[in-house]
Order: sequence, then structure tokens, then C-alpha cells
Amino acid sequence: MGKRLLNVIVAGLLVAAVGAGCSSKKKGAETGAAAGAGGIDETGLGTAGSMDRAKHGLAPGEGGPLTDIHYAFDSAELDESARTTLRDDGNWLKDHPQAKVEIEGHCDERGTVEFNLALGAKRASAAKDYLVALGVAADRLTTISYGEELPICQEHTEECWQKNRRAHFVVLGE
Amino acid sequence: MSRTWVFVSVVVGAFVSCVSPSRAQVNIPIFGPNLRSYPVAVSPLRNLSQGTPSDVGTRFADIVSRDLTIAGYFKVIDRAAYIEKPEASGYTAEASAEGGIPPINFDSWSVIGALALVKGAYTVEGDNVSVEVRLFDVFQRKLLYGRKYRGPATEIRRMANKFADEIMKQFTGERGPFDSRLAFVSTRDSARNGRLSEIYVTSVDEGDLKQLTMGQTVAKSPSWNPDNRSLLYTSFKRHNPDLFSIDLLGGRETLISQRPGLNLGGKWSPDGSLIALTVEDNGNSDIVLLDRTGKLVRRLTDNWAIDVSSSWSPDGRQIAFCSNRGGTPQIYVMSADGGAARRVTFTGNNNTAPAWSPKGDVIAYVSRLDGGFNLFTVKVDGSDVHQLTQGAGDNEDPSWAPDGRYIVFTSSRSGRKKLFVTDAAGASQVQLTHGGGDDTSPAWSRWLE
Repeated sequence: MGKRLLNVIVAGLLVAAVGAGCSSKKKGAETGAAAGAGGIDETGLGTAGSMDRAKHGLAPGEGGPLTDIHYAFDSAELDESARTTLRDDGNWLKDHPQAKVEIEGHCDERGTVEFNLALGAKRASAAKDYLVALGVAADRLTTISYGEELPICQEHTEECWQKNRRAHFVVLGE
Repeated sequence: MSRTWVFVSVVVGAFVSCVSPSRAQVNIPIFGPNLRSYPVAVSPLRNLSQGTPSDVGTRFADIVSRDLTIAGYFKVIDRAAYIEKPEASGYTAEASAEGGIPPINFDSWSVIGALALVKGAYTVEGDNVSVEVRLFDVFQRKLLYGRKYRGPATEIRRMANKFADEIMKQFTGERGPFDSRLAFVSTRDSARNGRLSEIYVTSVDEGDLKQLTMGQTVAKSPSWNPDNRSLLYTSFKRHNPDLFSIDLLGGRETLISQRPGLNLGGKWSPDGSLIALTVEDNGNSDIVLLDRTGKLVRRLTDNWAIDVSSSWSPDGRQIAFCSNRGGTPQIYVMSADGGAARRVTFTGNNNTAPAWSPKGDVIAYVSRLDGGFNLFTVKVDGSDVHQLTQGAGDNEDPSWAPDGRYIVFTSSRSGRKKLFVTDAAGASQVQLTHGGGDDTSPAWSRWLE
């Protein structure tokens, strides 16, 4: 809980830093991270997108103000646990009406790179559709798939694979 | 690098006419499971340019040896066992008229077990080199094939690969695949966490491996233009998986498709006029055809399922692809004109990554069985399923050699993902790439000329 509060505070600082530097939703995460990177340590990059973190030599982010959701193998379906998490995430978004989110879809390492990029797209889209159904404005949400390219962990175990089959939410500036 | 070298390919009439013209004196049954070790000796070439030390002769032999080893039918005898040294021995079956060079002492080759022998000589002429090289039947002591090459010394690799392809033609009736190139994705130069990837290009013997892209992002799915001069690939450098074409010479890039979402698995049609591509509409992937400028020509699939991984038939009339429209990922085939798709795989519940053989009759693909990923082939009509890999890590990303007899693929059997080559029967599997990081997504070009 304490950690979550810390993440929210840090996220708020980052959102402020990011918000100062960007307007285009496509470039948001990148320029924001660059603008804030001057004095920001690793914690400050906690809610930058997974690609930005990779470029800075960091493993992709886990969680943030919005909690990741997970999927079964080869599936983009939302189970009960995912829907519960999305309701919480949706509530956060309603409490922060200026925040925009990039939803990343990820897969575990098994299977074709291309199939996994397509599956990641489906996963990100499934999460977005559910948030929209909960009342979040669609223009606040963008999606991107990274397939199996940016895993959190790289072990060849079911425990690691489960962590990687996720949608990750990157909060962007206004 | 100038490409204006010219091959003077002369099967020298003078000595061929002394020999009965019958070809393929030795015919190795290609798919015989036990006949995979035809012993051949590959001698470094003799340097005829006294006073100009050069490693051309050794490099030529190294590349030919490597190619024959990858081919799987040959056992290249260890050079340490060779009795004749190139600088003190001949390279013809008869004594040379000039310079007092003796004929080959075939006894010294048969005594070490060689049934075939590659021998030759070269001359250095400034930046160019003239090579003459011959293939001999050791037992019959006669010439099977001879060739001359001339060009820049930097083109030794191509000369050696072409000669290896000719050796294969002598023994199997079909030209070998080695005068070609591979493109692939690698994280080998990615800092620390190794997640960023670039496109690399190499000859099959790995000798001139070079990085092609510098996007400092994630790069995916290289595929060759049939003219071998450019590659299509997908890059995240503009924060979206966009389709680019990159020139091999000079590295100039053209953005072909930046549709929001996926622009994935771009594949040129065999005649180079169309690109098959997976695009996305709000999470739903479908396959479309674009023209060379990236303009939409035709939508080929239109359903809720994941449709990815196009592979053209060699006649350009059909496309194989992967779809989970039936509930699980399977291989389908459809006409390039659009229309209904026909399912081709019925064994296993996870079949992906189709690659249509240049011979047109068979599709290679990846199947997940018992938790592991392995390469399979199936006939285009869905019959005759063959498993090519087994019990050796995860094996994915098949791509056919231009001769339709070999497949390059990704395997994790030795730890990190590396490229391997197998023959189409799965009998001979050789590791191609080495080094750090993961090497994946190989694409085998056509022959270079």
C-alpha cells in the first residue's frame, strides 16, 4: 500500500514533468521522459513506457498508478481478476480526468513473434474496450502492442511467462 | 564497394575434353539417412604470385569447407591431415605445361580417405584476383568440374560460395544455395538488458556479418525484395510498429506503411509488385495487399481472428498464413486475389509461421507439441506431415533456401536463440550464428544473380 502511494506521488510528479513537454499522444512518453530525465533517477522513470525504459537500459515497468492485468496463454480474454483490476483502474482514471493512458499489450516468449504482436494488440484493445465500457472516454486511451519483445522477466518458467502476459498502463501527460 | 567485377567463368575446354564428359559420376542419394558423410578434402589454393603473400587461397578453402559442412552430405577432412601442401604441389590431373608444376598426387589424398578433392590456384593482380579451382574424383583420378573466377579480392566469398554451389550440383544434380544472404534480427549489440534489436545481414557462412539498421529500438521480421537489393522490416522507431524498406547498399530507408497499430510481416510478392502485410483495426489484425508505395490494393482477410504471417507461393498466386479463426492458430492457404481460405494443418493445436517452399509443393511451419516448438513440413494439400526437429530446445521462424532443400530457423537448443540450418528432411542440422544475444527471424534471400 505504501508503495502504491509512493508510485502515485512519483507518477504525479512525472505527469507534471511530462505534461510540460508534450502534446502529441504519439510522442508523449518519449519527450516527456527526455524532458524530465535531467534530474530524474530510476524511480522517476517508473511510469515511462516500456520502450523508453528499454532505451535507458531498464526492464519494462510493472504497475504504476494503474495496475497491470494478466491473460491466459494465447488468449486476450479478460477474466474476473482482470475485470476487477480494470474497474479500479477505471476509477482512478475518472478521478484524474486529465490523464491519458497508453495501454501496452504484451505476451510471453512462446510462439511466433508476429502472432504475439497481433495477440498483444488484441490484449491492449480488450483492456481499452472494457475501460470505455466503464465510462472512460475513448480518446483518452491509446494502444500499442509489443508482443513478446519487452518482457519483464526472461526466465523460461510458467511463473515468468504469466508475468509477461499482460496489459500495462502508461500514464501520459495532458 | 563497386560491383563492377566481372566473372570470367570458363570451364576450360583444354582439360575437360580429355575427360569423358559425363557429369555426376558420383550421385549421393540426397535423403538417404545414412549417406551423410561423403569424405571430401578441400585444399587451400596455391598462390602463383610469388612475392605477393596472400590469404586468398586459405580463405577460399575455408568458405568452401564451411559451405560443404552446412550442406550436410559431406564430411570435410581436417586440413591437418593433408599431406600435399598447396605451395609445393600441383592442382591439375596432368602435369602443367609451364613452370614445372607436378600433377596432383592422388595417392596422398586417397590414403587419408578422401573420395573427392578440391584444389586450385590463384594469382593476385593488384586489387583483383584470378582463381582457378577444380573438383576431382580421387579414386578415378579425374576432373569432375573446373571453374575460373576473376574479380576484386573482396569478392572471394562469392567465388567460393558459387563454387560450393557447383560442387553440390555435381553431386546432387541441383545447384546449392550458398551464393545468397541471410537477414535476421538480433539483440547482440543491445546494451545491458538486451531487449532492443536491429536487423543484420550475413553470408551463410557467417563470415561477413554486418549490422544494417541503427534504429536503437525494436526491429522485426526482415524479408527480402526479390531483387536482393532491399529488405522490408517493421520498426518501432516512430512509436508504432511501422513498415520500412531499407536498401542494403547505403542503408537508405523508405517508410512504406504507417497505419496506426500493426504493420507487420511485410512480404514482397515473387514478382516484386505487391506487399502482403498484416495491419490492424482496433486490435483486430488482418492481411492486406499493398502496392510498392504502400497504397492499399486489396484486403485479403476480414474477420475477428488473428491473421498474420503471410508467405507467398513461388508462382505468386496464393498466400499461406496463420489464423486462429477456427479457435486455435493454424495454417491456411488463400488465393492472392482474395476469397475463401483453406485450412492446411490439422495436427496439433498451435501451428504458426508458415514458409512456402520455393519448389511450391510443401509448406514449413512451427508446431507446438508437448510444450515445445518444432519445425514441420506439410504438403500444400494438407497431407504428409513431417517433423524436422525434436527434443532440441524451441525451434521457430523457418525460411527456405533458394534451392528449396534447406531451411534456416531459430533454435534455443544451445542456450540463447541462434540461427540453424536444416535440410528439408530434418536429417542434418548445423548452427549458423554464434555470439551474444538472441538471433531470430531469419530470412534467406534468393541467389545473388
